[in-house]
Amino acid sequence: MRIVIAEDSAVIRAGLAEILADRGHVVVAAVGNAEDLQSAVDEHHPDAAVVDVRMPPGYSDEGIRAAIAIRRDHPGTGVLVFSQYIETRHAANLLGAAAGSGAAGVGYLLKDRVGDVSEFVEALSRVAAGGTALDPEVVTQLLRASRRTDGLGALTAREHDVLALMAEGRSNGAIADTLVISERAVEKHVASIFSKFSLTPSDSDHRRVLAVLRYLGSGPADPLPGHPGSRSP
Amino acid sequence: MRKLTGRPGRRQGDETMQPPTRPAPWIARSVSTEFGRRHVKGVAITRLLVGIAAVTLGSIFCASGHWWGALLFVPAALNLWFAYLMPRWKRALDDLKSGPRVRELERSRALVVDDAAARLRRIEQDLHDGAQAQMVAVVMKLGLARDHLGSAVAESGRGDLERVLERALELVDAAHRGAMEAITELRDLAHGIHPPALAEGLGAALAALTARSDFPVELVLDLPERPSAAIEVIAYFCAAELLTNAAKHSGARHVTLETTHHPGLVTLRVSDDGTGGARIEAGRGLAGLADRVKTVDGRMRVASPAGGPTVVTIELPSHA
Repeated sequence: MRIVIAEDSAVIRAGLAEILADRGHVVVAAVGNAEDLQSAVDEHHPDAAVVDVRMPPGYSDEGIRAAIAIRRDHPGTGVLVFSQYIETRHAANLLGAAAGSGAAGVGYLLKDRVGDVSEFVEALSRVAAGGTALDPEVVTQLLRASRRTDGLGALTAREHDVLALMAEGRSNGAIADTLVISERAVEKHVASIFSKFSLTPSDSDHRRVLAVLRYLGSGPADPLPGHPGSRSP
Repeated sequence: MRKLTGRPGRRQGDETMQPPTRPAPWIARSVSTEFGRRHVKGVAITRLLVGIAAVTLGSIFCASGHWWGALLFVPAALNLWFAYLMPRWKRALDDLKSGPRVRELERSRALVVDDAAARLRRIEQDLHDGAQAQMVAVVMKLGLARDHLGSAVAESGRGDLERVLERALELVDAAHRGAMEAITELRDLAHGIHPPALAEGLGAALAALTARSDFPVELVLDLPERPSAAIEVIAYFCAAELLTNAAKHSGARHVTLETTHHPGLVTLRVSDDGTGGARIEAGRGLAGLADRVKTVDGRMRVASPAGGPTVVTIELPSHA
């Protein structure tokens, strides 16, 4: 993979470049702010970008906004956002924007996850290939938020588990391993989730992502709280 | 920092030349106030005694047939009147004098509160850019080393070397786990110092807070504009503490967090349908909150009859 890194901390930037190079990937640019990230992506058209949420000048959500812009302007570039803290609304923003542009190709992970090199690189590959990679913690929080408004009436507990793992971006095989059930059973649950969300086979490729988004979209994360005068239910 | 002024008998120009070790001006002020109070008391008692003596003498003279003794009643009345009025005048004068001083203390306190909030935010930022980033870098390297050692162990298969590699792998793996834990602890610490979500406003931070909570919290926000940073921090930590309380003590099934900001006043209300009986007791969580709220002239009210529901209302000024 050809990768662009955007991270304002020099040590983390160097560390990321090292682990990615170690796994045989090419880091075409490593930058320290959102503006340089945009120009690096414009110039190199990488397969994936690894983006820190907090970057200069405002140190708030520059990375999320840059990620959304990249997904809009460069459909071929997957964006993996990573952050010291998990903020549900950042994840919701990112997923919402991804849904608008055909969904997928985005990920949101806690920074610590880079400590597990193989898992991190695998998540990055998934995002580069147009899949999703959500931190388990993000998924927990998002699902908790949507359960509040829905009463979780529609899904069974098992389907809920399957959906949570789907939201993390896992394949059916990986879900089967995690839940210690057969892959056939996973497929059954997934099909049931799709039908409960009225996702027809014509949505083919992105049905998994759409299912997750549809489920999460009903939570209070949307409309996004925190804006002046907003009132969330 | 704004200088405290008003030391009696000192010209304004001298103030700025003073070495920092001089006694704080409010000490001098309170001493002089104390002296003034005693002085007034003394004079008032003297006047009272003189008045009583004049009344007694006047009465004695009148009773013994000397009509001019009645003239003594005039100074007697004046003295008694003075004794009665003097403390009141003194108090009114003090109030008049202390008004500007109170305003000045309020201003300097606001500066201290704002300064403390800004400093905490800087500490959080330094942790984020410094220790936290370093630890993430360490964890990456250890993760990489662990993977390499793991494959080396799998491939070597040569007695001694394999044992050495296995031992190295164990050590690296333990270091990796320790570093991961350190990152989590650092994150919690930094978050406790200054929640980063506050950078985007109180509303965003409260939304993040309720998203993280283990039980459902209904969030109602009406924050057309942002209060000052220090007030946002206090409001955030109050909300966090109240939600924790509701979860820990009340057995509530439904909790509502309501935050509004109308010109000059931020109102934070946490209501739950739990068992009630919450009180502000010295040394308990709610008392700590009340103290914190008082530092900026805020108010806290607790309505929690036995059997519930509990409603805690906190009112804070928009600016410290």
